[in-house]
Amino acid sequence: MELRLAGLHHGYGNIEVLRGIDLDIPAGRIVCIVGPSGCGKSTLLRLIGGLERPERGEVVQTGAPPPGCLNPLTYIFQDFALLPWRTVEGNVRLVLEDHGFGRAETAGIVDDVLARTRLSEFRAAFPRQLSGGMKQRVAVARALAVSPAFLLMDEPLSALDAQTRELLLDDLVDLWTRERFSGVYVTHNLREAVRLGHRVVLLSRRPGTVREILEIDLPLDARAGHAPELEAHRSRLWQLLRDEAHAADVELVDG
Amino acid sequence: MLTTRFAATVRRSALALLAGATVLAGTAVAADDKIKVGALRFTSHSASFIAFEKGYFKEAGLDVEFVYFQAAAPMAVAIASGDIDYGVTAITGGLINLADKDAIKIIGGALHEEEGIDGSAILVSDAAFKDGVTSPAKLAGRSFGITQTGSSFHYMASRIAEREGIAMSEIKLKPLQKVGAIIGALKSGQIDAWAIVPHIAKALARGGAVHIIGWVNDYAPDYQVTTVFTSAENAANKRDLTERFLAAFSRGAADFNAALVDKTAGEDAAEATVRLIHKYVYTSRPYEKAAPSIRNGAMRLNEGARLNLSSVQAQLDWFKAEGLVKGEIGIDKLVDGSYVETY
Amino acid sequence: MPLMWNWSMAERSDRGRPVAFRGGGFSPRPLGVVGPLVFIAVLAFWEAGCRTGLIPPLVLPAPSEALAALAHLVETGLLWKHLGASLQRLLVGWTLGTLLGIAVGFSIGLFSLARAGLAPVVAAIFPIPKIALLPLFVVWFGIGEGSKVATILFGTFFPTVVATYGGVDNVDRNLIRMGQSFGLSWLSIVRKIILPGALPAILPGFRISAAIAIVLLVAAEMIGAEFGVGAYILLAGSLMALDELLAGVAILSVMGLTVNWLIARLERFLLRWRT
Ligand SMILES: Nc1ncnc2c1ncn2[C@@H]1O[C@H](COP(=O)(O)OP(=O)(O)OP(=O)(O)O)[C@@H](O)[C@H]1O
Ligand SMILES: [Mg+2]
Repeated sequence: MELRLAGLHHGYGNIEVLRGIDLDIPAGRIVCIVGPSGCGKSTLLRLIGGLERPERGEVVQTGAPPPGCLNPLTYIFQDFALLPWRTVEGNVRLVLEDHGFGRAETAGIVDDVLARTRLSEFRAAFPRQLSGGMKQRVAVARALAVSPAFLLMDEPLSALDAQTRELLLDDLVDLWTRERFSGVYVTHNLREAVRLGHRVVLLSRRPGTVREILEIDLPLDARAGHAPELEAHRSRLWQLLRDEAHAADVELVDG
Repeated sequence: MLTTRFAATVRRSALALLAGATVLAGTAVAADDKIKVGALRFTSHSASFIAFEKGYFKEAGLDVEFVYFQAAAPMAVAIASGDIDYGVTAITGGLINLADKDAIKIIGGALHEEEGIDGSAILVSDAAFKDGVTSPAKLAGRSFGITQTGSSFHYMASRIAEREGIAMSEIKLKPLQKVGAIIGALKSGQIDAWAIVPHIAKALARGGAVHIIGWVNDYAPDYQVTTVFTSAENAANKRDLTERFLAAFSRGAADFNAALVDKTAGEDAAEATVRLIHKYVYTSRPYEKAAPSIRNGAMRLNEGARLNLSSVQAQLDWFKAEGLVKGEIGIDKLVDGSYVETY
Repeated sequence: MPLMWNWSMAERSDRGRPVAFRGGGFSPRPLGVVGPLVFIAVLAFWEAGCRTGLIPPLVLPAPSEALAALAHLVETGLLWKHLGASLQRLLVGWTLGTLLGIAVGFSIGLFSLARAGLAPVVAAIFPIPKIALLPLFVVWFGIGEGSKVATILFGTFFPTVVATYGGVDNVDRNLIRMGQSFGLSWLSIVRKIILPGALPAILPGFRISAAIAIVLLVAAEMIGAEFGVGAYILLAGSLMALDELLAGVAILSVMGLTVNWLIARLERFLLRWRT
């Protein structure tokens, strides 16, 4: 299953946020979206996942989702969006409850995703007892439980401290290496983008348009050993982004 | 010494709060003894109004100021707190309990039931009447409106039940706090029966929504409905003042009886008396509408403030039997019989 | 370099002193024994005042007399009759008022039409003292249990509505969006996200509505009540039986404390996911 964005336009009131976005999002690869603050990255992600309706243009889904997929387009949120009144296990179970599984079947899926995210021993903990990194792993486990075709991630690591971020980034790389999921990953952080993205899409400042698309051919699991090459990509992106970012920064918010 | 004065102050202010005494009206002349008299705006309080309007209080050297109340119970509290000096109301559980605490004393009689004069009537709702409750004997299993447990309505209900041989447990008493609420409940058939002074009873019966099925006097003959009372302090230590008050009050009562009860004073006097009373009672109604109610409501006021001690004793016994007052209190603690003739 | 200079001056003149502590305060600690001690001291002082005649019986009966009145209630078994009647009214009125309140609160929180239509009505009726409506309730529901339950029901309904829709409004929108993004059904979102999310606002509303229910009990039992704690207090007041009055008030107070304790337990159980 693949996604194609065709001529997406969106705005709020008289603020134009996105203008003419055309983009293909292939299966089995991660597309990173970077761009200056307020350029419409989160908006774009909401449009892709159907949480908002674009003013013009469309998001088209081609091909069927893989068998056993419960929720093809699944989000991982920056603020984790865990229910504080449910345990780790309960939070994962939440997204399975509407699918009419039996007790044993549900337990099987929950056990499996908790094991895959190394959370099995924390299944009875409430979110308030967990660190930020753990919470985000719960969110990942929850997303995996519905066997998504696409993971839509909006700055999933931004709320975490630098070390945790590093660890989780490794986790995501491992996960992709094992599962080969398709993903859209929105971030501010160019290092993350070049670490995780098979393709990096740079948006211009608001109204967001596609400014540049960068393909990085290095396999994800091999990138740790190719620091200089990644650094070159990063600094090229930064050159492009800097002017946009500066201009966006001095812009009045409602100007 | 110090403690008693402190106690007196505390008592005064605390009871003043409880009593919540209302508006003051009256005149002020220097030399006379100033007293405050509690009153309800009922025809039964006419003796005080007549004594005031005709100057009997003034002639007795009393400068009277009326303090008006909505119900009998707070008036007893106001006497106990010293906010008013003399009052006239029905004997209630509250009044007896205050007497038990040496706060107040009954010193004379006022309104009473008398053979041959229309007194309080027993009423039933139209629905109950059509259902066959045509005499007080048929009140068993019916509901009876009262203001509160221990009120004069409660007493009348139990008198009726006793004479008719109905167990009190068979009459469902409905405390509704206010006379107005009882009237509403009776008219709409939410309660079956009630007993009330004649002018209200007759006015209601005329409308057809309720029916008079008997008279309280047949069940509680010579019932001493209201009494004159004052603080124990006044009764014991201000004999002269109290005697003067009772004398003037009795002159007012005598005029009232002559004009409206015995009708021996002639129609002119009756008319003049009704006009005088109308200054205090039913003031919101025009005279033409108020006059019949005032005339209908005329029940005998005791001559010379005589007091039917046996009726008071019967009432006291009843309150005790019902457990509404503490067991020990005797009639001597309730009544100071040294002022008026008792019978 | 004035800073350096000061430093060396201080170094030379004395060996320095500890920085003065300026924090602390503004965080009351629980002192378990103080409450009961004050309570006992007040009672003892009061009892002594009555025994010595400093406080005349007409003003305030001794606590022991109120206790005796209470004991009398227990001996005669009247206590259970009064309590039973009152608790039944409270339970029925409060439960119905709360259930209706939550239902209406949820509709206002969830549906634009209900919000536009009902919120102003609720805002307009909420501040009316329900005691003032008592005669109306008597006409509508009669002098039996109906008007008493209705008084309590109306009293508890409005604060519950306001607490509930306030709670629904305050549920984290991101959680709702999360639910939608996982394709949860509307009912699931309401039941599993909005209801528990609004609970921290609804439960304190219970405390308020329960207190209001107890306050209204006395008013509700003014009309046509033979038994009930409120009726007992009213009667004691009209008889000037101050010891019984105090006994009745003490019963109300204990009822309030008990209800509060129960709700606190419920809160601790239902909101144990909070810190
Ligand atoms: N629901 C909304 N209503 C009105 N304006 C909105 C709404 N959501 C976003 N915006 C505006 O749209 C613009 C783009 O917002 P968006 O959150 O998509 O940007 P972003 O690229 O994700 O920014 P950031 O880097 O800060 O996350 C911003 O100016 C924002 O204020
Ligand atoms: Mg964003």
